[in-house]
Amino acid sequence: MIETFFGADALGTHAAFLVSLLIGVSFGVALERAGFGSSRKLSGIFYGTDMTVLKVMFTAVITAMLLILYSAAFGLIGFDSLYLMPTVYGAQAVAGILFGIGFVMGGWCPGTAAVGCASGKADAFLFLAGAAAGSILFNELYGVVKPLYSWGESGVQFVYASLGVTRVLFAFIFTAVAIGSFWMAEWVEKKISKTGYYLNSPFLWAFSIVFIAAAGGLLAAADAPAENREALREINAALTQPLMPGRTEQMIMEVMQEGRDHIEPEDLADRLMMGDRLLTLVDIRPKAEYDAFHIRGAVNIEPAGILQLLREKKNAGMIVLYSNGMTHPAQVRDALHRQGYRNVYILTDGLDGFVERCLKPASLRAAPVTDEEVSKIRAWREYFSGK
Amino acid sequence: MNRYMNPYLAGIMLGVTLFVSYLVLGSGLGASAGLARIAACIEGCVAPLHTQASEYFGAWGKNPLSYYLVFMFAGTAIGGLISAVAGGRAGVVLEKGKRFSAWKRAALALTGGAIVGFASRLGQGCTSGQALSGGALLLTGSLVFMMCIFAGGYAFAYIVRRQWHD
Repeated sequence: MIETFFGADALGTHAAFLVSLLIGVSFGVALERAGFGSSRKLSGIFYGTDMTVLKVMFTAVITAMLLILYSAAFGLIGFDSLYLMPTVYGAQAVAGILFGIGFVMGGWCPGTAAVGCASGKADAFLFLAGAAAGSILFNELYGVVKPLYSWGESGVQFVYASLGVTRVLFAFIFTAVAIGSFWMAEWVEKKISKTGYYLNSPFLWAFSIVFIAAAGGLLAAADAPAENREALREINAALTQPLMPGRTEQMIMEVMQEGRDHIEPEDLADRLMMGDRLLTLVDIRPKAEYDAFHIRGAVNIEPAGILQLLREKKNAGMIVLYSNGMTHPAQVRDALHRQGYRNVYILTDGLDGFVERCLKPASLRAAPVTDEEVSKIRAWREYFSGK
Repeated sequence: MNRYMNPYLAGIMLGVTLFVSYLVLGSGLGASAGLARIAACIEGCVAPLHTQASEYFGAWGKNPLSYYLVFMFAGTAIGGLISAVAGGRAGVVLEKGKRFSAWKRAALALTGGAIVGFASRLGQGCTSGQALSGGALLLTGSLVFMMCIFAGGYAFAYIVRRQWHD
């Protein structure tokens, strides 16, 4: 497994700056050789005269996607060592539309304008000056646009999970769509500007077959990655051993007290009642105990099945584990943490605490209860125990 | 054929560059963040106290240029220059259609740039950082952003078509 600069929290080091500079050079050469140092060529995609942008960008996306997925399947990289940008539906939709308008007006985007400017294009220089001014404008208006900036904030979302298909299947379909769009682009160019040189060429045939085959091979290769088998072994160990070596009950309690990795029963109850879709509640007790009673909305996890469910939720939303007490879920949380899960929480005081603090009738409580709390307890009892 | 590289091979070169970035840096390619940090530096030189007190740029600290994407942005320009000189494509020119006024083209480039600069901050990235890098990881927001770029671009293309008329 490769340790990335991001994974080692070292993106701010001089070594990372040097690597970034070199990657930037390669990026700039690729853009320039593709013809993206010309605003006329870039704009061609919007008029059907030159579809180079589509061909280059879509090829780059599927190339990188397939290389990343193969690397993940063979345990070379883990998604936890990659920087995954959060999805903010509203902000990104509005930003995309604005960006598209600015792109077609100016004829550039920031990366290509850097290339154009360096090779002497005056319009690229003006575009960059405008973009710098636009960034400053954003900073000045930040107080006003903040609600828009976070509109539709949804954490890290993968499109295949959003659509309910597996990663490799989506990757295959995505590759097929890309190949289809390349043939279409060549056809459009032939119709509109009598170019489309690659339409039906041996090159495009070979290119298409290689990419479809690579995406198809992924379906077979990515079935049971080594990293998951290892993770499963560790989680099984955590579930069956009374205590992990080197980790005492006291240490667990210290982490708890810092409040970094637990959720209070009242908070959990409210989130569940609100129907928080980003929350996954996992009951890690044996199935018989789960069947007897569990918190409404929780799923029961047999150790063997835990990864299938959790892989989809890794670093997306919030995973809450509970058992009767706290020791047991803390061990599972630790095992998951070592696999790169950063969104696993434990229910404070476990199921016992949840019953005691949320479901116990107000009349049986030792401490005095305010009217507001009484109505809250009544609502919880109604929702969670049907009383 | 044309004097540029085969677009599919250029795409593979770009994709491999992106993959190497993920493999080594752990993050993808980016351009607008580097540019925005340069903008923050400029604003910081003009109005240091105001910039450091501002909520967005202020969070980048006293030296916003000390950031990996600033170096990547510089590298991109260097790579572009090397390739343009090697390919005999370097030279000062304002690209536009023959029948279109240079002043109008300059105004469009500047205005388009301003909109893109603003939109890149709003969407937390541009065609490089969001569409390309996030798209390769199949992140939902990045793909939404990419589709909306094309929607906005195609919707507006007709209005500014004359800048390319010869």
